Amino acid sequence: MEILWILIKILIVFGVVMLHVAYATYFERKVIGHMQVRMGPMRVGPHGLLQPIADGIKLFFKEDVIPTPADKKVFYAAPLICLISAVSSLAVIPFFEGFAIANINIGLLYIFALSSLASYGVVLSGWSSNSKYSFLGGLRSSAQVISYEIAMGLSLVGVMMMAGSLNLTEIVHAQMNSSFKVYMIPQFLGFFVFVIAMLAETNRTPFDLPEAETELVAGYFTEYSGMRFALFFLAEYIGMIIMSCIGVICFLGGWSGPFHVPGLPFFWFVIKVYLFIFFYYWVRATLPRYRYDQLMALGWKVLIPLALFNIVLTGTIKSIFG
Amino acid sequence: MKIKYKTKKGLVERILLLEILKGLALTLRKMFSKSVTVQYPKEKKRLFPGFRGRHALIRDPQTGGARCVACMRCATVCPSKCISIRYSKDEVSGARKVTSYEIEALRCIYCGYCEEVCPVNAIVLTEEYEYSDYLRQPFQFDMNALLQNWDQFLAKNNIDPKAYINPFLRPRGATEGELPAGKRMAVPPDWTLEGQVVWKDGKAIPAKEAFNHREG
Repeated sequence: MEILWILIKILIVFGVVMLHVAYATYFERKVIGHMQVRMGPMRVGPHGLLQPIADGIKLFFKEDVIPTPADKKVFYAAPLICLISAVSSLAVIPFFEGFAIANINIGLLYIFALSSLASYGVVLSGWSSNSKYSFLGGLRSSAQVISYEIAMGLSLVGVMMMAGSLNLTEIVHAQMNSSFKVYMIPQFLGFFVFVIAMLAETNRTPFDLPEAETELVAGYFTEYSGMRFALFFLAEYIGMIIMSCIGVICFLGGWSGPFHVPGLPFFWFVIKVYLFIFFYYWVRATLPRYRYDQLMALGWKVLIPLALFNIVLTGTIKSIFG
Repeated sequence: MKIKYKTKKGLVERILLLEILKGLALTLRKMFSKSVTVQYPKEKKRLFPGFRGRHALIRDPQTGGARCVACMRCATVCPSKCISIRYSKDEVSGARKVTSYEIEALRCIYCGYCEEVCPVNAIVLTEEYEYSDYLRQPFQFDMNALLQNWDQFLAKNNIDPKAYINPFLRPRGATEGELPAGKRMAVPPDWTLEGQVVWKDGKAIPAKEAFNHREG
């Protein structure tokens, strides 16, 4: 019975997230379109509402081209590694009170582990494609993800110290009981570092060097087409949703809100996640891409020291007042 | 001159990332502004008189044919040499008669010189622009096709052929006396040199004033 309930939960979460991913692409095109004084998709359905479905069908029926010099086995495995590690991160996220597929005590650590695992998919796809663009994209991505993972991990240490737990549900409970209700205010330094590292982790502008289309065609997934390309795409958007979820859970108070909405326990959670996702698009419409050395300098010289300073500050205040 | 690549920023500006915030504010503002997109097949932009589109020979209501007198001015002035005219001469009176008038529209650059130079207003570039095709042949307009283009243009836009005027049929800036009889037509005042206006800094200024200003 227990197992059946878990399976049903998995199906629900997977289905809902997939739907949200599909419409996140639509949302992105609309937001960026309007920010550039265009309209975005308008033709498929009213206001282009069926565009994601049309895109999905197109990608599904496209020819799957595999370059001759590619290392076939690794080439097949790479997008799956990306997607699986992104999707399995969903298992620990509490969408509302008492609803998480697996309420484990090392939730945050688990998400970190899986997000570093996803970079294997990127590196392997870059290597196995046997193309210079893919290779450079893969190299850049691995370097970037590794450096920003440190900054992101450290930025969340402050949250862990204040909540005293790695369990995501407990973190939200601890926030509800804290004096500010959200950790964004006392942990503003951590929040700042987290938001920037979040953009870099998911390879979004202004840190989209791995897939810099102006210089690397598409980066590590240049040689992929059809459904395999769609898998990378899904992984990227699920990654964005996961990062937004972590941001919401760790800094914005998870599913708690100013007032209770009856019948929709996930109301505030979804609103906050969409705020984060909107921020992703907003930044993408505004900022140009960083240069590679600027990216590394920002990561190692600014964000990591700032995150470390935040840890020291949190620890000092906690030991004096707590 | 020494170029300053990095402008000096104050401490507040650097810590609060003011420039990035300004950029974000701009994009957010633009998100709520009206988009400039014209949804083409559904919406169409307003065409201004004198838009240079598909070629046509104006059908003369009296004769039912073209007004062309085979003076060859259009063929001479055409920069891409896409007009070819053949004519025969009446042995008694010496009058020319057009035997064929062909325009190769794929070579035309739509400069409008032909309609400007025509002394009898025989040729015109109509405001019709949706005439793409998969083949080249439909763009070889012969006399018949050109006359048909004119009929189609009139029918589509519901225009009275007597009332039709095109700014190119009466060149701007020319006084009445300089024009051949056929081109002395009544035009709105802003099409003549006296009434012509120029847009400058968002204001309509008489063209004469603007040109005088440039010279002075």
